[in-house]
Amino acid sequence: MTRNPPPPGAPPHSVHLAGLRKRYGGVRAVDGVDLVVAPGEVVALLGPNGAGKSTTIDMLLGLTRPDSGEVRLFGRSPRQACTAGLVGAMLQNGGLLPEITVGKMLAAVRALYPRALPTREVLARAGVGDLADTRTDRLSGGQRQRVRFALALLPDPDLIVLDEPTAAMDVASRRAFWASMRAWAAGGRTVLFATHYLEEADAFADRIVLLRRGRVIADGPTTEVKALVGGRTIRATLRGLNAAGLAGLGRLPGVARVEGRGDAVTLTCPDSDAALRALLAAHPAAEDIEVVGAGLEDAFVALTTDDATDPSARQEITR
Amino acid sequence: MTGNPTIASTTAGSSMAADPTAASATAASTPAATFAGPLTGGTRAGGNGTADAVLTYVRYVRSEITRVWRNTRLLIFTLLLPIILFGAFSAGSEGDRLGDLAVAPYIMISMASFGAMNAVLGSAGRIATERSIGWNRQLRLTALTGPQYVLAKATTGFTLAVLPIVAVFVAGDAMRGVRLSAGTYLGAGASILLGLVPLAAFAIWLGYLVRPENMQAITGGVFSLLALAGGIWVPVENFPGWLADVVKLLPMYWSAQAGRAVLAGGWIGGRGLVTLAVWTVVLGAAAGRAYLRDQLRT
Repeated sequence: MTRNPPPPGAPPHSVHLAGLRKRYGGVRAVDGVDLVVAPGEVVALLGPNGAGKSTTIDMLLGLTRPDSGEVRLFGRSPRQACTAGLVGAMLQNGGLLPEITVGKMLAAVRALYPRALPTREVLARAGVGDLADTRTDRLSGGQRQRVRFALALLPDPDLIVLDEPTAAMDVASRRAFWASMRAWAAGGRTVLFATHYLEEADAFADRIVLLRRGRVIADGPTTEVKALVGGRTIRATLRGLNAAGLAGLGRLPGVARVEGRGDAVTLTCPDSDAALRALLAAHPAAEDIEVVGAGLEDAFVALTTDDATDPSARQEITR
Repeated sequence: MTGNPTIASTTAGSSMAADPTAASATAASTPAATFAGPLTGGTRAGGNGTADAVLTYVRYVRSEITRVWRNTRLLIFTLLLPIILFGAFSAGSEGDRLGDLAVAPYIMISMASFGAMNAVLGSAGRIATERSIGWNRQLRLTALTGPQYVLAKATTGFTLAVLPIVAVFVAGDAMRGVRLSAGTYLGAGASILLGLVPLAAFAIWLGYLVRPENMQAITGGVFSLLALAGGIWVPVENFPGWLADVVKLLPMYWSAQAGRAVLAGGWIGGRGLVTLAVWTVVLGAAAGRAYLRDQLRT
């Protein structure tokens, strides 16, 4: 299924979020999110629980009204985009209609789209072609997710939004799910998914948007987000290091972030060469020095955790 | 695609204080907010014309009716129970009268109204269940709008309410020989349904208010109270005068009363209509508020 290129004058963005904010009580769930996603991009919205991923997605889909800010999908309001069948989504904790077969449930929803794929086809694409006559309350956790994926595919959407799609799946189902997804997205369609599985974002997305406390703290191609924070990590033992000394490490060239546990320190370094030279100049007695390439895990931890014991955790990260 | 990755400050409590009074459209102040291209562009026809909207709505109502029709438990309560109760309560000697009517037609209307009430109140449970599993959110990603969803639940309730009315009318003829003209049947049935309009609003309100696990207990209690207040268990004619006056202020009484008025050769009357209208406005406003809260937040 390859798509025709968008006609001239078609909106260049699949998703356009501008200044999106939402607070619940005293909590700023989403605190100024700007995001532009071009057609064909596969974007991971990555962040720990409470980072604002689900609230952002709900506002994106028009399910929650933002306190301020604007959402455009293909240049339209979320409602217009949904009505036109441009959007498919797997919502978090979404259930299936009880006491009905999968096929009948899909047929009922299918009738609510202006044009939709046949139910057999979406089931096959979701990898559950044999479940049409199974009742929804007799599905396994993984099967339910696949059926929900089939629901999202029904309108043959140009944008698919997935909120923690593999949360209830085992490793094998997860792999199969992403294989189906990849096949579907190969036609140049836009995918936006929220996850807190780092490997998932790394393996599947070509762009990662890191969220923390309702704000975008990093946004770029997967490889660059990885390189950005902690291209490398330096670990060393510095005997007798005090708090002032630890804070001093954070000011060394090439160091983005410092973590200390007793004498052992971990430096997250955009430029580990410069950092290592400076470290050895400042602490010639440093022992057990280790330089390792940082994975996404490290970037994620470095950017999203609030480590109260870390004196430089609140320091601005600049390049 | 973003060219270079950007990284924002991780400083806690920075200057990005959200202004709670900010208007809903602050997009213009954001440099990234350039909505190039016409807003109506795209690769697809809009699919949101009036004809399409009506078609979507009709399809949804049809699939809802089909789905509820398959639910045997519900059919027992809305169809079988009123017939059984009619059989049990409608026995009486020739000359007995309740108000302007003989016993059998009086009870026939009461039970038709009771079954219809169950059907209309059933949408409360359906809304609550679908809310709890996030199904209404899933449907909001289709062409079906939120108001259409709510309206369809009420329409489904009223459509299903026709069944017990017809069934009890048939039972009235078969069991007690109550036979009316086609016009009276139609007028009585329509009047019963008209009297249930406030109840439909109430059901929607309940659906957005009550958790599904509590719904059984609450609707059970509500059913009994409404049936009692509507003079379905005990004819209002047998109530003490003050209680009859109270009951006549409540909407439920007027569903069966509207039907009985047609049998007696009249109509519901101004007082009944005003009572129903006031309750429809009050309960409709409550339902609307609960609906909006659900729609905008969760």
